[in-house]
Amino acid sequence: MARTGVKRHSWIGRIFFADLLAGLRLTLGYMMSKTVTHHYPDYEKWVPYQRHRGHHFMNTNDQGEVNCVACGLCSVICPCDCITVIPFETEQGDRRPKVFDIDLARCLYCGLCEDACPADAIKLGQEYEVSTTNRATLKVHLEDLIAAPRKAEDGGLVRPARLDSEGTQRSVLRSGPSTGLDWWSRIRRHK
Amino acid sequence: MEYVLSLLPLAIKMLIVVGILLLLPLPLTWLERKIAAHIQQRPGPMRVGWHGLLQPLADAIKLLTKEDHIPAQADRILFAVAPVVALVPPFLVFVAIPFGDPVQLFGTTVTLSLADLNVGLLFILAVSGIGVFGTILAGWASNSKYAVLGSLRSIAQMISYEIPMGFSVIGVVMLANSMQLSQIVAAQQGLWNIVLQPIGFFVFFVAGLAEAQRIPFDLPEAEGDLGAGYHTEYSGIRFSLFMLAEYLVLVALAFLNVLLFFGGWLGGPAFLPPFLWLFFKVGLFIWVFMWLRFTFPRYRYDQLMTIGWKVLLPLSLLNILVSGFLML
Repeated sequence: MARTGVKRHSWIGRIFFADLLAGLRLTLGYMMSKTVTHHYPDYEKWVPYQRHRGHHFMNTNDQGEVNCVACGLCSVICPCDCITVIPFETEQGDRRPKVFDIDLARCLYCGLCEDACPADAIKLGQEYEVSTTNRATLKVHLEDLIAAPRKAEDGGLVRPARLDSEGTQRSVLRSGPSTGLDWWSRIRRHK
Repeated sequence: MEYVLSLLPLAIKMLIVVGILLLLPLPLTWLERKIAAHIQQRPGPMRVGWHGLLQPLADAIKLLTKEDHIPAQADRILFAVAPVVALVPPFLVFVAIPFGDPVQLFGTTVTLSLADLNVGLLFILAVSGIGVFGTILAGWASNSKYAVLGSLRSIAQMISYEIPMGFSVIGVVMLANSMQLSQIVAAQQGLWNIVLQPIGFFVFFVAGLAEAQRIPFDLPEAEGDLGAGYHTEYSGIRFSLFMLAEYLVLVALAFLNVLLFFGGWLGGPAFLPPFLWLFFKVGLFIWVFMWLRFTFPRYRYDQLMTIGWKVLLPLSLLNILVSGFLML
């Protein structure tokens, strides 16, 4: 029996079960406080912080071309070897990727590819709903990466959402003001 | 014919009581899950019906359609009989529990109890002792070491706590000069027994928790650390019959606590019918039982036995001694 942190009660406290009553008071306080659970995916959705490493996307420049110069650094540094880059040369003489595939079934979202990228091209966004019943859809191509949503302006909030049960089977944010709820403020903490 | 007609009110009352008791676990399971959830700062069942109100129905459908498995080496007859045997004592307890003073209804006097026995308390204690049979049969019939060990554990616990429980109510009986529950309630007209018998109440409450096998004394079914006890081999609807029995014991216990120590139906506000006031108090007790369940961890088995024999039994004897001296 570990004795650390055991408070010695007076004998009066022992007779009247001071520690049991303290426990009861604590749980009663929890019962009266608000719940902290997200109503995901039906009513609410967590928008992660901007540093969150979720779904990949590819940045484009002002001309609509991908930033990627197909140097292959991401593919080299990738610890699980899930990125395939095959370069080609455009008419302007620029080096661009002909094939840029990421196998999300292998990816562990470590973020090393975006660290290694010299051209600010491959990025990890805040999307996290990538589950699927078909393994083939986990292989994302260059078009998918360009079309993927960019980082949201806000993060670290719970926003109203609804489940898109007909289409994508994902929880989509509801339109309207992007004011979310600061979830951490709802958690009851010890003083 | 005259005799048959005179039995009609009793038959109606029996139907009402049995019907309510059979349906009672549905709201109670919902309530228990909700209270558990809110103590853990989560909403609990939310998806079936408004705030999960239809969840018990979904649970019932699930339990009824589950595979009803009987182990190959089990004693099939006893195995099937055990859950029903476990279910009988809690129903029998409600025979002797009164819900209020007799009322005038359709020109006849209707007593709000099935039978207000003059040895009601003794009857209840005796009948709740029979609850052990279901446990022992279930453990034996399963023909499994774990089930037998679980039932032995459970029986030892039930017997150990039966004794302080019986002793703790003697003070109440001394005060009321009767074992009839309606008399005991009537004796608390001015002052509830909780004021006069705080130690008796404490012992009865704790022993009752152990009798109903609620946390922190739910060692028969400490599924995480000991195996699920005497109903390890049970599944589907048979398993849920044990759960049903357990909930009914819980309700009976709440009724007994209120009737013996909290003035029964006495002392309510004028606009509330006395039986509703009684139900309110009972509900409060059920809530307290659930609150306790989600606050305390369970005791170790030796601690359980220590509390029963070394704390509660001397306390209940001391209570009898002190009340006897004070009444002299």
